[in-house]
Amino acid sequence: MNFDPFFIWLESTALSQWIVGDPSILAFPGILALHAIGMGFAAGLGAVLDLRILGVARGVPIGEFRRFLPVLWAGFWLNAVSGVLLLIGYPTKALTNPLFYVKLLLIAVAMTLLVRLDRRIRAGDADNPITMRALRRLAITSLICWGGAIFAGRLLAYTYSRLTAIE
Amino acid sequence: MTLHAFQIWLIAAINHYSPVKGIMRSAWGWPIAESLHFLGLCLLIGAIGTFDLRLLGIARRVPIAAMHRLVPVGLLGFAINITTGLMFLLTEPDQYIYNVSFHWKLLFLAIAGTNASLFYLTSYRQVFGASPALDAPRRAKVIAAVSLCAWIAVIVCGRMLTFFRPGPCIGEATVLLTCEPD
Repeated sequence: MNFDPFFIWLESTALSQWIVGDPSILAFPGILALHAIGMGFAAGLGAVLDLRILGVARGVPIGEFRRFLPVLWAGFWLNAVSGVLLLIGYPTKALTNPLFYVKLLLIAVAMTLLVRLDRRIRAGDADNPITMRALRRLAITSLICWGGAIFAGRLLAYTYSRLTAIE
Repeated sequence: MTLHAFQIWLIAAINHYSPVKGIMRSAWGWPIAESLHFLGLCLLIGAIGTFDLRLLGIARRVPIAAMHRLVPVGLLGFAINITTGLMFLLTEPDQYIYNVSFHWKLLFLAIAGTNASLFYLTSYRQVFGASPALDAPRRAKVIAAVSLCAWIAVIVCGRMLTFFRPGPCIGEATVLLTCEPD
């Protein structure tokens, strides 16, 4: 299936052209900066929650660490919005790169694991050695997903085959 | 030696010495170093950012000393980023030494570092002493807020580097060179 007509339409919208073409540092550079800040809070807090479950900073009750999760979600939503804006800016660049789908999948798995971890922590699974083992397995998988998502995201800049559909 | 002359000398010295150019100019050297730099950023924000947020009052029931055990994770992230950051600098010195966004990044790094030492100098006893308060003293809260802002500013300046690449100089004189002299 040829998506070029869709890419060309999207790239010719005023929003797309503003994101990519406006010389203001609040346009493309600003959106990228927001995306990096959101990454720090989403992937950063996600990874630190995983590390806590895996035994780092044992003095911090896992149930209390949940109180930082709204900050993780704020980072996630900041990146969902800034990510969609970047996608509107360069739809061909992202959507024709298989690695982009790997990145999205890794983030989807990481966020699903976060919801499951959170639910299990609220159910008291962190207080029981047997259920804690399952929690640790989820945390390891989550850690790998966050690391993979960060790498996939950064490598998008080096792996795309087409920048725009408009010549 | 003027600052301008120092910048020119520094770039010449790095270009002459430059131990990592080979790795960094290999096919995946630079991209992998960048990915590690992002990974380090996440560890730093994830650990130091949560510690700052605890000082500011989130998860008040967690003892601050217990939260402080996350700081080594942040230091690991910082170490990764100093290492990879130096690798970028030692490979393309002129892209950083003449880059105004890099100058600001260094300033915010210095603020973040000084601010962190102030925390230990001013608040250690109240926060880690024999009878630590669950609520951080106001001083420590100000330091935590400055820390969050400074690290976010470091991220922003880092992300902006690529948009402030130095061009050839055309007769401007700022405190630091922000363009490539002949």
